[in-house]
Amino acid sequence: MTPLEIGYTAIAGLIVLIYLGMPIGIAMLGVSFFGVSMIRNDSVALRMLGAAGNDSLREYLYAVVPLFVLMGLLVTVSNVGKDTFDVFQKLLRRVTAGLGIATVFANAVFASITGISIASATVFSRVAVPEMTRHGYTKKFATGVVAGSSVLGMMIPPSLLMIVYAVLAEQSVGRMFLAGVGPGLLLAVVFSVTILLLALRRKDFVYERTTDMATFEDFPVSRLIVKSVPILALMLVVLGGLYGGFLNPTEAGAAGAAGALVIALMRRALPKRTLWNLMVETGQITVSVLFLILAATFFSRMLALSGVPRELASVLVDGSIGPYGFLLIYLALIVALGCLIDSISIMLIVLPIALPVAEAAGFDLIWFGVLTVVAVEMGLLTPPFGLSVYTIKSAIDDGTLSVGDIFRGAFPFVLAMVVAMAILIAFPAISIWLARL
Amino acid sequence: MTHPDSNPNGADGHHSLPSRIWGGVVNTLAALGTALIAGLMLIICADIVARNGMGASLPLVSELGALLLVMIVCLQFAATVRADRLARAGLFIDPLRINRPRVSAGLETVFSLGGAVLIGMMARATLDVMITDFSRGEFIGTPGLGTLPTWPFRLFILVGLTVAALEFLVRALRNIRAAAGQTEVTR
Amino acid sequence: QETISLTVASSHPTVIPWVGMIKTHFMARTDEILAEGGNYQIEWNEAFGGTLYKANATLDSVEQGITDVGWVFSMLEPAKLPMSQASSYAPFTTADASLQLDVMEELFETNEAFRNEWEQYNLKVLGFTGTDSYDVYTKEPITGFADLDGMKLSAPGVLGNWLRGTGANAVDGSLTSFYTDIQTGVSDGVLSLALGVLPAKIYEVAPHVTNVDMGVAFSGAVAINRDSWDGLPEEVQTAMIEAGKYYTESHGKDLNERHQAALDKMVEAGAGQATPVEITPMSEADREAWANAMPNIAKEWADGLEGQGAPARDFMKAYIDGVRERGGAPVRAWDDEL
Ligand code: NA
Ligand code: NA
Repeated sequence: MTPLEIGYTAIAGLIVLIYLGMPIGIAMLGVSFFGVSMIRNDSVALRMLGAAGNDSLREYLYAVVPLFVLMGLLVTVSNVGKDTFDVFQKLLRRVTAGLGIATVFANAVFASITGISIASATVFSRVAVPEMTRHGYTKKFATGVVAGSSVLGMMIPPSLLMIVYAVLAEQSVGRMFLAGVGPGLLLAVVFSVTILLLALRRKDFVYERTTDMATFEDFPVSRLIVKSVPILALMLVVLGGLYGGFLNPTEAGAAGAAGALVIALMRRALPKRTLWNLMVETGQITVSVLFLILAATFFSRMLALSGVPRELASVLVDGSIGPYGFLLIYLALIVALGCLIDSISIMLIVLPIALPVAEAAGFDLIWFGVLTVVAVEMGLLTPPFGLSVYTIKSAIDDGTLSVGDIFRGAFPFVLAMVVAMAILIAFPAISIWLARL
Repeated sequence: MTHPDSNPNGADGHHSLPSRIWGGVVNTLAALGTALIAGLMLIICADIVARNGMGASLPLVSELGALLLVMIVCLQFAATVRADRLARAGLFIDPLRINRPRVSAGLETVFSLGGAVLIGMMARATLDVMITDFSRGEFIGTPGLGTLPTWPFRLFILVGLTVAALEFLVRALRNIRAAAGQTEVTR
Repeated sequence: QETISLTVASSHPTVIPWVGMIKTHFMARTDEILAEGGNYQIEWNEAFGGTLYKANATLDSVEQGITDVGWVFSMLEPAKLPMSQASSYAPFTTADASLQLDVMEELFETNEAFRNEWEQYNLKVLGFTGTDSYDVYTKEPITGFADLDGMKLSAPGVLGNWLRGTGANAVDGSLTSFYTDIQTGVSDGVLSLALGVLPAKIYEVAPHVTNVDMGVAFSGAVAINRDSWDGLPEEVQTAMIEAGKYYTESHGKDLNERHQAALDKMVEAGAGQATPVEITPMSEADREAWANAMPNIAKEWADGLEGQGAPARDFMKAYIDGVRERGGAPVRAWDDEL
C-alpha cells in the first residue's frame, strides 16, 4: 500500500472502531500506530506513541483545561450557575418557552467566566434540565437546549478553542477573544428564535404536558441583585483580569478557579466530601478531554506522514472552485469531521492545510477563525461523537434518557448554527468589528 | 458521581483483597493527580501575585505548568478508565449490551485489550524517554535563571501510564468472565 | 530515473522565513541539482508547521526518524545542545546574521566538540539558521539605558539573562502573548526581533522602537536523520550538501535584508497610529553601558559547561574570534574575562 492508501485505510478503520464503541482516544492511538508502522516502521511508531504521551500535552496553555473545569464545577456546587439561571428565569417568566430562552441567556453570561463548553454543559444539565422537566418540558428538548447553548461557552470569551486557533493562525489571543463576542450574542439570539419557533410549531417536541402546574420559585428584586453578585465578581476577575492587564488566559483560569473556590467557601457549599468528589470529577473530565487531544495529536501526525492532508489541499487549491467554494467545502468538511472527532483535534488536523489557502484567498484570518470555531462547535452536537451531548449524559446520569434523545433534542440547534453561520459569512463585520477596533 | 466499585451484583471476587489493593493503587495515583491540580492553581496564582505585586515573573512557571499538566493527566488516567469516563460512542454497543450482553462483553474485552496494549506500549516508550532524559541531564528552565531536571516528571508519567495499562487489563479480565457467562455484564 | 521518497518537517509554519526557505531554497536547489544529473528525483512529503511534532521535540524527531529532514531548533534544546547556546550568552557581539552563520559553519568544520554535540544524535547537519538582531520595543519612549531601570520587559527564557544588571524585570511570555501583555500592562514592552514584531503587530502597542542592535543568535540547523542519510545514493548526498550550503548563505543574506525591511515596514504601517512608530538608535555609550552593566554571563555559561567536561571556554573564544576575523566589532570582550 502507498502511504496515501494507508492514510485513507486508517481513517476508515477509525470510523468503524468509533462506531463499534471503542473509546475514541484508544481507537485513534490504534489506527495511528498501525498507520505509522506501515508507512515507516514499528520502532518509529513506538517512539511517536511515546512522544504523543509525553510531549503533545506539554503546553502551558492546556493548563487552562483543568482550571476552567475546576472553576466550572466550583460555581456549580456553589450555585452560581443556578443563580444566573434563576435571574433569567425570573426575567423571562412570561415569555413563551421562557425557561428555554432563560437557559440560553444564562449560558451566554456563564460563558464569560468559563472557557470550555463542557463546563457549561455540566452546570446547566444539573441546573436547567431538572427545572425544565419539572415545568413540563420534554427531557429531549431540555437537554437539547442545554447542549445547544453550551456552544456559547467557547464562542464568548474566554475560550479554549479561540486560544488554539490563535496559536495555530498566529493571531493575538486577545483579539480572537474579542472576535467571539458579536457572534456569541448572535448565536444566543438565533437560538432563542429557534426555541420560540419550536414552542409554537412543534409543541410535542418541546412539551411533555401543555399545562404547567409547577410553581416557580419566587423571590424579590433584592434577591435578584444578591444572586447576580457572584457571577459579576467572577466576570470581573476573569474578563477584567484579561483586559485590565493582569492575566494571560491560563492565569485567568487559575484566578477564576481560585475566585470560585472563595465563593464556594463563603457559601459553605464545600463540605470535605464534596470538595474531594469535585476534585476527582475535575480530574476525570480533564483526562477525558486531554487524552482526546493527546490521541488526536498522534492521529494528525500519522495523517501528516501519509500525505493525505497534502492531497486534500492540492484538490482544494487547484480546483476551480473560487474562494467561497473553498470556504463552503472547508466548513462542510469541518462539520463532517465534527461527527467523528473532537473540536481541538479537528482544528489540529485541518487548520495547517486550510490557513495558507485562506490567506491566499485574501480572507481576514480573524473572521476565518470565527467561522472555523462555529463550524467546529457544531461537532459538539452531532452524532455519533458529540462531546457536549456525552457530557450532559454523564452529568445527568439518568437511565431513561438515551444519548440518541439528547442528539435529537440538540438537532434544531445545529440547524440554527447553520443559519448563524450564513449570517456571519454575509456580514463579516459582526466578527471583525470589535477585534479590529 | 458514579462509583464503579459499588456494584451490588459484583458478588465474586470484585472485592477480594487483591482487587481492593489494586483499587487503592489506582485511587492513590488519582489523589496525587488531584492534589497537583490544586497545586497548579496555587503556583499560577503565586506567579500572578509576584508579577503584579513585585514586577517579576516567578522562574519556570510556564514550563513547570506544562510538564505538571502531562503528569496530572497520566496519574489520573487509570481512575478515569476505571470509571469508564473515556469518550466513546454508544450508538452500536449500548443496544447490543441489552440484546446480546455476552457479545457486547466480548467486544468490550477486545477494546480493553487494545487499550492495555497501546497504553502499555506508550509506557514502554516513556521508559526510554525517561532513561534518555536522565542520562542526558535534560532540564526545563534557563541555565543562570533556574532549572529543574525532567526525569522525575517522566517517572510519574511512566507510573501513571503503566497503572492505566494494567487497569485496562483488569477491565479485559472482568469482561472475559462476563462474556463466558460467569458474571453479569456491566459497562 | 529513480524516485526517492523523503519526509521533510518543521515545528514552525512556512511563513517563518527560514522554514519557508527549506522549501524554496534547500529543497528546490536539491531538486535542481538532481534534475541536471537526471538519475534521481525526490518526492518530498511536506509536514511543515508542527503537523508532525512540536517545538519541544525538534531534535528527538530527526534523531528518531519520525521525519527524515527537519529543522532542529537548538535554542529550545539547551540540555542536549549546550555548546550551541554560546551566542545567546554573548549578546552585543554581532548584529550581522550572514557573518554569524559563516562563523558557525566554519566552527562546525573545525571544532570537534561542537560537531560531536550534534552528530551524537544520529543526524547529519546540512544547513544553519539564526535570528535577526534584537531590539527593545516599548509603550513609552526610552531616552537611554538608564530608563530601563524598574521596567517590566517581556523577555522569555534565555533573554531574561540579557536584562540582568539593567534593573529591568524580565516577564515571561511568547510571541503570541506579547501583544496583549503589553496592551494590558502585564509588561511595558518587549525585547524582541523585528521579524517577530512585524507579523505579530506588536508595534501597534509598543510604537517606540529603540534600536539597540543587541545582536543575532544562532538558532539551529536543518538536519537529516543519519539512517535516512546513509541510505541515500552518493549523488543525492552531494546534491544535498551543496543545497545546504546554498540554504545557509541565502538565509543569512535574507535575514539581514528582512530585518531592515521589517523595521521600515513598521514605520510605514504604524504611521497612522495614535502614536506613530518611531525608531531611535541607542547611543554607542548606552550600548556599552548596557553590555558592561551585565554580569559576565558568557563566563557563567562556560564555567557551568566546563564543570560537565565540555570545552565551552575554547568554543566561546573561537566564536568571538571568528566574529572579529570577519570584521565584527563586539561591544564587550566577553572572552577576555573567561
Ligand atoms: Na467562554
Ligand atoms: Na459531533
